[in-house]
Amino acid sequence: MTDARPVSVQVWSSSAGRVRVLRTLADTWREMIQYRHLLYQLTMRDIRIRYKQAVMGFGWAILLPILIVLSGIIVRYAMSYLSGTALATDVIAGLAIKAIPWAFFVGAIQFSSGVLIANQNLVTKIYFPREVLPIASVLAQVFDSAIGGIAVVVVLPLLGVTYGWTALWLLPLMACLLVFTLGLSLLLSAANLFFRDVKYIVRVVLTFGIFFTPVFFEPEMFGSTGAQWMMLNPLAPILEGLRLAVIEGHNLFQTLTISGAGAEVLVWSPWYLVYVFALTLFGTAATAVLFHRLEFLFAEYI
Amino acid sequence: MANTLATTGIVADGVWKKFHRGEVHDSLRDLIPAVARRLTGRAIKRSELGADDFWSVRDVSFRVEPGQALGIIGPNGAGKSTTLRILTGIMRPDRGSVEIRGRLRALIEVAAGFHPDLTGRENIFLNGAILGMTTGEVASRMDEIIDFSGIEPFLDTPVKRYSSGMMARLGFSVAAHMDPEVLLVDEILSVGDLAFQKKCYSYMQGLSARGVAVVFVSHNMPAIARLCQNTMVLHEGAIRFLGSTDEAQHAYYSLLDEQSARKGESAGPTLESFEIRDSEGRPKRVFVAGERCTVRAIVRADRAYPRFSLGLSLAMPSGEEVFHTTSQRLHESTVDARSGDLIEMEADLAMNLAGGSQTVYVQCHDYSGSPSEVHRMAAMEIHVQKTPDFGGIAYLDPRLRLRKVESPAGEDG
Repeated sequence: MTDARPVSVQVWSSSAGRVRVLRTLADTWREMIQYRHLLYQLTMRDIRIRYKQAVMGFGWAILLPILIVLSGIIVRYAMSYLSGTALATDVIAGLAIKAIPWAFFVGAIQFSSGVLIANQNLVTKIYFPREVLPIASVLAQVFDSAIGGIAVVVVLPLLGVTYGWTALWLLPLMACLLVFTLGLSLLLSAANLFFRDVKYIVRVVLTFGIFFTPVFFEPEMFGSTGAQWMMLNPLAPILEGLRLAVIEGHNLFQTLTISGAGAEVLVWSPWYLVYVFALTLFGTAATAVLFHRLEFLFAEYI
Repeated sequence: MANTLATTGIVADGVWKKFHRGEVHDSLRDLIPAVARRLTGRAIKRSELGADDFWSVRDVSFRVEPGQALGIIGPNGAGKSTTLRILTGIMRPDRGSVEIRGRLRALIEVAAGFHPDLTGRENIFLNGAILGMTTGEVASRMDEIIDFSGIEPFLDTPVKRYSSGMMARLGFSVAAHMDPEVLLVDEILSVGDLAFQKKCYSYMQGLSARGVAVVFVSHNMPAIARLCQNTMVLHEGAIRFLGSTDEAQHAYYSLLDEQSARKGESAGPTLESFEIRDSEGRPKRVFVAGERCTVRAIVRADRAYPRFSLGLSLAMPSGEEVFHTTSQRLHESTVDARSGDLIEMEADLAMNLAGGSQTVYVQCHDYSGSPSEVHRMAAMEIHVQKTPDFGGIAYLDPRLRLRKVESPAGEDG
């Protein structure tokens, strides 16, 4: 007990007062570093319990993506039958590469939005930054989806995809998806703690979300205006960017148009990137600040 | 803060915490009116009370120095748990502040972080992290933790197959290895069997010796008396008494008396006064086993009782009667009481009891009817302290001699 470690000082006082965004963010970041062991152990817990006493084991990790791809093939087969063209293999490749991030998003939001309620006895009894609970459940989902992701990366060349340098867009896009999902999981887990009806809304939105997100189809199928509306969904630029960069070999810094039905249709604009990265950055920062301000009320309102 | 600590410890400075009575809005449709109130500036400030609000903790200040243990006791709803939650940082005070210097650890619901599907070993890592330890720290203390828990053969079994006692032992074993500088403890020493409890006590006593500042919240006065030099008695969120544990015991038990007096207003004879004095005539409620004392009670008859007799009984907190007697049993005559008469009883007793709290009742019997009529009135909570020279639940006032009566060499002992 005589070591020269500096004495840590904590002062608990009223949490009311002015919101200091940068300071709150810095505090949150420091706490995450300080509690990284807890984050690791909780992530490991979530991964372990998913594979314990489970019939499917690791098969579970690729079941959902496979189902998404099969559903997509059915939808696209119907579309190509009506238009009288054959179902191209790059359509299947596009479905496969979009199925993994979508499955990740759905799984992560499903697990994380209820995580504060599920760990009620910890939230009401033991102090630690509450951010670790939703973050750990998202990270556990990253592990699941990584298995499916590796499977897709291995399978794509069999469908005739050759990886060019544009495939490296994968990294910033996945980082963006991760941060966006983290931000949303913080928001929804806290909201669900205060208002129990949030989980029903989340369930409905996730069920029907696939119709509003370009997983089975491409936005340009709706024409220029329709595509731009669809790209407002923050997941749309991520999924489409991924498909264009990895499958089509398109550089996302450049605009892409195709000519169809007598007019030029905008497929990709670099502004989509700006939009989704800015939204993710500011949205997640705002959510993190909100969460940090509210977490002292969790034990009281749960 | 006005008075800061030199090294480690806790300073609570005028802490207030309010709660809301009744339902809080917990579906989205209630949010909109609440937000509207907020935007129009009609919301209530955090430091003021709204219509259905009440102060759960009011103006609580104290300090705990390194090596000191402070007990916090009080009846249900006194604000003990809220105070503890504010100290841990789970809740923030609405007014005032708490300063904590040194590594803060809490021993609260030791098995709260366990996941039933994980094995004992996996749960040790998880629980260690929840309590603030690094993975490396847990790994390096693994052997000690396993040893302390005494459940080594079951370490690779999922904890859902553990008994509740085993879970608590494992939880406490992890918690006991977390090397705190400031430790908060909630009612957890009632887990496991006697041998394990003994281990827990000696661990707690060891902490004070190592200079850890401890706050111990409990319902159990004897446990506090064993571990804490100072005690704070809370009542309705405010400090009723703060000082040495000896005096705090008096304050706590008289608080309980007040509460039971307020509840027990029914028909029958009423207890007008009650006191216990020691052999030197000082009023007393904490006794050493074997100590002699005099009990004096005055009862007012609410109607006529032709053959009225008074007596005493003592019961443990479990309700089990330890002792009872009446003037009738002791071959004293009964009295003919009329309505409004005051009847006094004086009894000399030896507190040949051991360990813990007892409730003293005054019993009024009337033997004129058949069956006889009995009224029992709780009079006082007392506490008997065990002395180190005996064990068990009764003190038989032993005189013991020891000598050698035979020796193989044939010499005298």
